[in-house]
Amino acid sequence: MANTAQSEIVANSGAKGLLEVRDSGWSEVEEAELALEPTPLEKIPSAYVQRSWASRNHGFVKSVNMAAAVVGDDLLVRLRWRAPDPKMNITDINVYPDACALLFPLDSKDADLGTMGSRQQPACGWHWRAGADSAFVITAQGLGSVARVADQGLEASAAWAGDEWHVLFRRPISDSHPAITAGASVPVGVAVWTGTLEERAGLKSHSPQWHKLTASN
Amino acid sequence: MTNNGTIQRQLAMVFDLNKCLGCQSCTVACKTQWTSELGMEAQWWNVVNTMPGRGTPRDVFEHGGGYDGDGLPIPGRFPSGREFGEAWGFDHVNVYSSPAGAKKPMQPLEHDGESPSWGPNWDEDMGGGEYPHSYFFYLQQICANCNKPACLEACPRTAVYKRTEDGIVLIDEERCHGYRFCAEACPYKRVYFNQQRYVAQKCISCFPRLEAGVAPACVRQCPGRIRHIDYLDNQDGHIHKLVNEWKVALPLRPDLGVEPNVYYVPPLSPLAFKEDGEFDHDESRIPMDYLREMFGPDVGHALEVLQAERERVTAGGESELMDILISRNWDNLLGPFTANPADLKRPPNR
Repeated sequence: MANTAQSEIVANSGAKGLLEVRDSGWSEVEEAELALEPTPLEKIPSAYVQRSWASRNHGFVKSVNMAAAVVGDDLLVRLRWRAPDPKMNITDINVYPDACALLFPLDSKDADLGTMGSRQQPACGWHWRAGADSAFVITAQGLGSVARVADQGLEASAAWAGDEWHVLFRRPISDSHPAITAGASVPVGVAVWTGTLEERAGLKSHSPQWHKLTASN
Repeated sequence: MTNNGTIQRQLAMVFDLNKCLGCQSCTVACKTQWTSELGMEAQWWNVVNTMPGRGTPRDVFEHGGGYDGDGLPIPGRFPSGREFGEAWGFDHVNVYSSPAGAKKPMQPLEHDGESPSWGPNWDEDMGGGEYPHSYFFYLQQICANCNKPACLEACPRTAVYKRTEDGIVLIDEERCHGYRFCAEACPYKRVYFNQQRYVAQKCISCFPRLEAGVAPACVRQCPGRIRHIDYLDNQDGHIHKLVNEWKVALPLRPDLGVEPNVYYVPPLSPLAFKEDGEFDHDESRIPMDYLREMFGPDVGHALEVLQAERERVTAGGESELMDILISRNWDNLLGPFTANPADLKRPPNR
């Protein structure tokens, strides 16, 4: 049963055996199982989407496992979730690849996760999409405002095996989206899109609350 | 319906279905101008399909989108690449490597090596009716810069916008994240998706040409002179006269609720035959129910006006309507966009 309370994911110092998404070292790293929920349809800023999806399901993924580590100067965050029917690539114009993202408050810890921040309290995030050349660093100032920013430090790798996606985000710990200080915690939220259900944009599974990502000293 | 203010003027076009040759010069002019880059191979922002027919994409009006009678959005779907028609390859290698004397004609192939099963104007000239009452006409479609653009309302990122200065609907590719709700919501299915760039793309009404005073490529390259362009509020212009004064130019599928700004002069039907082989002046080959479905309840009146004005000219009289539709002076088709691109200091930016 996924944890519905706030979880803390601690990034302890790890060995180089964690640098690849399928490295066996990850089996030794403690994971937190985070509960996910469908995003509220009424919050999506599109009358078309609200009407079109009123009788369709979204939010297929109910939980995601998160683990983190610090290797050298890099922060690593790994997500793992069940995906029995993955969309690994955009094989046609009406195919929607699987995806996942982490969201953080950019400055204020009071940023609203449910609205992806606001103009006054923006959020930032890391976005991975199956089949894409690279991961994106994003900022958001509310729903429908996601923008990609030029932050070259983020990398992501992924593997699908055993009906699961494994996605590993990696970036220099000193990068600024978000600023992470050793020994301190930052709030983190998670979202997962299931392509086979045509999930995209605000149609997704998300963690309804912030969790804590802590980089140990 | 805009996301950045009130529309000051609305650009509009009229296509005269009685004059289209089906030559696809408009289609190729647009393709050459705008969609020759990587990821745009299968994009045809301008299509000309035989009607009655299944259209582009296949069964074009069966995929939803637009608004219902209460003004609420109708759920739609975005057809596949095959349904639109892929950019075919050709089996050159097999042809060249065949032994001498082998009868192996060159074959078009889809991305997976299969023979194509659909493409733009796939059912060319098939039309409807039974011989000798067969009939067809060509239907040109581009983005209609609708007054109620379903694509604009569908986009949760406000990446689609309608320009206040001329009502042209555009997609901001910097804001677009490739969600494709716009493509689902457009009832005419005139939005494409660029897999390489992960953005939605569509007809842009040649706005860089318009800003240089040059008519869109599809308009200038039409040898049949079927395309008229102007601002709808220019009371001396063709569009206003055809749409608002003569009322012979009608929107396509007005029941879809988007209030398009491309209008069509409906097709006058060839005469039916009586059993003795003589013309039947009381029957038309194109069923009026079909024309009403396509162009709305006013199509009967429009056809009567067209027929009456034709007969007036046949009898030696004069008709402003026929003069407009004939457009002996080519520039008159182009509204204020009469500049010759060859005379510009440099071509419009791409």
